Amino acid sequence: MSITAKISWRNIWRNKRRSLLTIGAILFASALLIFSISLQFSSYDTMIDAAVKRHTGHLQVQAEGYHTDKKMRLVIAHPQNLVQSIQDLSYIKAMSSRANAFCLVSSKQRTYGVWVAGVDPAREREVTTIARVIRKGSYLSDETAYEVVLGDILAKNLAVELGDELVLLGQGLDGSIAATAVTLRGIFSTGQPEFDRSALQMPLKAFQETFSMGESVHELVVVATDLERLPDLARSIRERLESASPSEGLQVLTWQQLLPGLEQSIRVDMVSGWINYGIVVIIVAFGIMNTFVMCVMERTREFGMLMALGMRPSQVARLVLLEAAFMSLLGIFLGVVGGCMVTYYFQIHGFQIPGAEQIMAQWGLPSRMWPRLSLMSIFTGPAVIVMVTLLTALYPVLRILGLGPARALRAL
Amino acid sequence: MGKKTRVRTVVAAVILSIGALLITDPVGGEPTAKAVLEKAFDYYRGQSSETEVDMIIHRPAWERRMTLKGWSKGREDALIRVVAPAKDAGNATLKKGREMWTYNPKVNRVIKIPPSMMSQAWMGSDFSNDDLAKSDTILEDYTHEMMPVTSQDNHTVYTIRLTPKPRAPVVWGMQLMKIRDDHILLEQGFFDEDRQLVKEMTTSDIVMLGGKLFPRVWRMRKPESPDEYTEVVYREVAFDIPITDAFFSIPNLKDPRVR
Repeated sequence: MSITAKISWRNIWRNKRRSLLTIGAILFASALLIFSISLQFSSYDTMIDAAVKRHTGHLQVQAEGYHTDKKMRLVIAHPQNLVQSIQDLSYIKAMSSRANAFCLVSSKQRTYGVWVAGVDPAREREVTTIARVIRKGSYLSDETAYEVVLGDILAKNLAVELGDELVLLGQGLDGSIAATAVTLRGIFSTGQPEFDRSALQMPLKAFQETFSMGESVHELVVVATDLERLPDLARSIRERLESASPSEGLQVLTWQQLLPGLEQSIRVDMVSGWINYGIVVIIVAFGIMNTFVMCVMERTREFGMLMALGMRPSQVARLVLLEAAFMSLLGIFLGVVGGCMVTYYFQIHGFQIPGAEQIMAQWGLPSRMWPRLSLMSIFTGPAVIVMVTLLTALYPVLRILGLGPARALRAL
Repeated sequence: MGKKTRVRTVVAAVILSIGALLITDPVGGEPTAKAVLEKAFDYYRGQSSETEVDMIIHRPAWERRMTLKGWSKGREDALIRVVAPAKDAGNATLKKGREMWTYNPKVNRVIKIPPSMMSQAWMGSDFSNDDLAKSDTILEDYTHEMMPVTSQDNHTVYTIRLTPKPRAPVVWGMQLMKIRDDHILLEQGFFDEDRQLVKEMTTSDIVMLGGKLFPRVWRMRKPESPDEYTEVVYREVAFDIPITDAFFSIPNLKDPRVR
């Protein structure tokens, strides 16, 4: 260890309390950043997961143009072939086909226009959570039955109870008038009012029959084993589509394209998150800068003496910079260790913000939260703090460089 | 059999929602915009009417043809029933004032179209429920302004600009109607609030029908997709048939024998 390093290390401990306070500020700031970033990003994953599992899935295969137009004729004509051509790909957890139609839904007293989805009851259970949030009655089970499940708000609006008959009136694939009577089998509540007000599902076979769809469907919903594997999975499905059936005109859409609102709200939230972190970092920076400036002013005569003994101002400056580096690295190290421990504890056990259940439900989130450590969440905050501390140390250093021994010795 | 209920239908006319017309009073100078419109309405609808039309929904990849039979009385009441294809026969729509009901024989239910659905397509065509239900309300819901007069085929053509009154329950920002001096509606343009043309109806093939000159073909299309349109072609029209107000009822909406 060079002599300068040795001196600076000793200097840190010359005024223990001040140094410890500085180190503590850095420690606390890095631990806080690690925890909040871990929490923030895991809450995004939870939001994505909740939204994706409610209806959309991680990705969907659809006919080109269907997503924007929702035109009934834009179908996947041979869903079985499609499923066969991609089912051996890795990272696929579950798949289910659906068909959709906008129609009038009419109870004895009321009529609403809603999107009706024809789903494969068995597979749909693996793809979405609807079957698990049935509040009354039960989920669809018979593939061909003329029965429906719908959201609790829609049920209330239509004023229907289990077992009541509903009439669906829309247009079939061939342009003919599609109409059928269905029995209400179950009522679900996802906690997302928009969805519970408008969603209605019926078995795919009955749907295809009613809407003259034959074997065709509108979307193949895919759930991946892992959100991080999604880009790979989307790419390999695209490749299969291109090689297998060049003329089918199918496209792959990921949740970002299917739920643009979700991605936008995550982006907005991220910006406000970064602003908060920026404020934390700036406050810490001022604390640290205060320490450094104080110590340089206090120690001006000491520096004058060192220079009188023959140290060049640049060497003195290096000494001070090293002190800053030691302190911030020490603080960061302890902060990372402490932050990871605390975060990891909650990652295992989770925690609940009392009274937040309602707000969380609005976003379709579980009321318990689990932060999740990642390389990104561990190192982003501390890295920024290191840079900021060194930057704040620059001001006192510049002062020292402009200092002559005679003037320094005479300083108060 | 015996009784000849000569009802007539204006199905198409109603469907078309259009209306208009004018008066050329050879003696009296320039007619007002509203008078022109009222005359056109009354002209194409008569006191009452019974019509049979083909409705052709055309798309680039397919085309669908339906035959409809319709009856109308005055400016407010209309009943339209699908006659062909067999799969859809019996489906019917009843309009009274601004309200509409639809009947489907397969589920044997009458459904009142909720207000939120009024801008949806009617029977999958380019006509909306509103086009039917509010066809006559352009007389009250809009202010009418006469634009410069043009001429075509030896006829004077009046162009009338309709701007919605401030609180009127309408979806359009403006409409432009071209009406010939013999009360025949030539064109109706529907514009949004930014005065962009959203859809446009044009009539053609003006021939003798039901005892008077009448456009046989009415076509509704959207300017952005010229390959997609809905055409209503009149097969038969009878005007001023005897028909009672009671004809336009829910029981008749459901009864396939009324035809």
